[in-house]
Amino acid sequence: MIDAFSPFVAWRYLLTRRINLLAVFGVTFAVWAILLVDSVFTGFVSQIRQDVRSSACDLMVTDLPHDAGYERLAAAIAGVEGVAATAPRLRHHGLLLPARQRRTGIADQGSSQVDFDHTQNGFALLVGIDPEREAAVSGLRRWLDRGPDELAQRYPGDFWRSPVLDGADAGRRARMGMPDEDEWRARRRAGLPHEARSEDQRGAWPGVLFGWQRVRQLGWFPRSEPFDVVCASFTGGDGSAALHTHSLRVGFAGCFATGSRAVDEGMVLLPIETLRTMLGQDAADPASVDVVTDVAVRLRDGLSSAAVATTAAAIRARVQAALPAGAGPCLVADWQQQNETFLSAVAHEQGMMQFVLFVVMLVAAFVIYATLHMMVVQKVKDIGILAAIGGSPRSVGGVFLVSGLAVALVGTALGLLAGVLSAWNLNAANEWMFANFQLELFPRRLFDLREVPCRLEPSWIATVAAGAIALAVIVAAVPSRQAARMHPVLCLSRE
Amino acid sequence: MTPAALEAVAVTKHYRLGRQEIPVLRGIDLAVAAGESVALLGASGAGKSTLLHVLGLLDAPSGGEVRYDGRRVDDLPVRERAALRHRHVGFVFQFYHLIPELTALQNVQLARMMAISPLAYWRGRKQARAEAEAMLARVGLQERMRHRPAELSGGERQRVAIARALLARPRALLADEPTGNLDSHTASGVVELMFEVARQDGLALLLVTHDEELARRCKRTVRMKDGRVVG
Repeated sequence: MIDAFSPFVAWRYLLTRRINLLAVFGVTFAVWAILLVDSVFTGFVSQIRQDVRSSACDLMVTDLPHDAGYERLAAAIAGVEGVAATAPRLRHHGLLLPARQRRTGIADQGSSQVDFDHTQNGFALLVGIDPEREAAVSGLRRWLDRGPDELAQRYPGDFWRSPVLDGADAGRRARMGMPDEDEWRARRRAGLPHEARSEDQRGAWPGVLFGWQRVRQLGWFPRSEPFDVVCASFTGGDGSAALHTHSLRVGFAGCFATGSRAVDEGMVLLPIETLRTMLGQDAADPASVDVVTDVAVRLRDGLSSAAVATTAAAIRARVQAALPAGAGPCLVADWQQQNETFLSAVAHEQGMMQFVLFVVMLVAAFVIYATLHMMVVQKVKDIGILAAIGGSPRSVGGVFLVSGLAVALVGTALGLLAGVLSAWNLNAANEWMFANFQLELFPRRLFDLREVPCRLEPSWIATVAAGAIALAVIVAAVPSRQAARMHPVLCLSRE
Repeated sequence: MTPAALEAVAVTKHYRLGRQEIPVLRGIDLAVAAGESVALLGASGAGKSTLLHVLGLLDAPSGGEVRYDGRRVDDLPVRERAALRHRHVGFVFQFYHLIPELTALQNVQLARMMAISPLAYWRGRKQARAEAEAMLARVGLQERMRHRPAELSGGERQRVAIARALLARPRALLADEPTGNLDSHTASGVVELMFEVARQDGLALLLVTHDEELARRCKRTVRMKDGRVVG
């Protein structure tokens, strides 16, 4: 315990020595920077995780053999405790080429042209889905709501919501077909064969859904715009491999937004039967296989992480048993495992950022040490005086420890206040900076964000405050100990 | 027989300079009773100030004993020695040794803040302030309480130092050349004050000085040479 004079003298020193303001400023700046930068980063990470989560299903069964049939796998999975629904997915790479010259004046691009946006060249990850089943396992309905919203937030125009899930005709829903009249208009626009009257037109094109990022970069949004989907497959494998290309006309049936840029840029959804047929598994052929590359699984709500892991293991065991003999091991991944590399890279980046911010705090702590050490050197005589009046070494050292603590408390309080206010007003400040100086502190367009995501975690605020104070006390303990160990007689005789 | 307020018994003190041992006090025996005033005379380097520091528990003896009211105190733990220094002795130095950031009143109040917790002091702060004001009034500085040391004359600073030394009601007053930095007129006033409060409070007064005239005002004179009492 320290004597009463320690806080009294410390307070007088702090009030009369302006150099202490430097230490207070150092702590304030460090705490402010840590709170603000980390809150933005936490907001980004939180947003990214949310987007990734909304773009992924609960579990994905993948690494399946090329001839895996969906119905057999679905039957095997359906018996597992905790499974609510399943849906087939068929992934394949392909090209999408507009069937008519675009009005923008940009000529159709060949696949050999360099395009770092990956969408103007027509390459796409084709994902065949069963719309009804897909809507039961993923956020497909929500994605279709969000797609036009994302475009409407940024551009003027009529960004209609895709009707492919809502029609009364089950056959039309299965092929994601647009209304007949839309196809009639599209055919007429493109100069393709069409009936004389719209009422006589029967829609034949399967629908395709684009991610909103792809639509944005294409720059148009007409209903049932015709496209040719091209994909390739190999036959053979015994040294006589042959490449087969398959082409099919489809109609643009709307856009979706999952929140994940990679998905919204690169993925194109189309009916799974359409893709199967293109790849040689014609649904009309009784000998064809209902081939899938993945099975998306939705779990019952409220399952714990442990229960999810148990369910995943059970599904893996059942699916493996249902696969043909000699099939390689399948993989069952939860939403985090499906995006493991990306999520761990983001987490690692946040860790690195926190380390850099910790170094900022260390610099502030060093400033505290330097000012207190200087104070001890300058106040040697006072140390002798206090000892002569009856101050114990611990209390004499306490003067400098309390000084460091006071600097930390004041600096931390100011830093917390500044950090919280900055975080709350970050978007307003960003707008103001841009409006007045054309300067954008946080370029939202770079990340396709409507506003800078900023998230202050109370636990992080408490950790920063406690860490700043603890660090300041630790560094203040060094000059404090130095003062406590000084010999009073030598101090008094110091000129 | 009443034990001496301050007593040195065969006190030795030496400092080390590398491997060399430099003796400063060589077996000092000295006792100062309550109400007694003793002048410590001697040339520079005789060991007067060192003896004062050892008797005031600011420095530890290399040998011998220091006793307060007959009780050995030099072997107490450091915190107890500090508390005892606060309660039993008051120091007055040649260069006043006031804290420049504090006013005269705060410098005196400081003596009330020793060996007491911040909370306990806070509870009795009004009384402590009143006592400090009364002590400053006693040394004639009631009009200068709010002034900092830099705004006070040498004599006024020394009066503040005396007030601070007396506030804890010590049993002994140790003065190390208290007039060494003052002109003769101011010095006379300070000396008068010290002797008066020592007499009124029955303090043991030990005065280190080069001034023979000042020494003659004390009841007893002790001369030192080369770390020994010689008369």
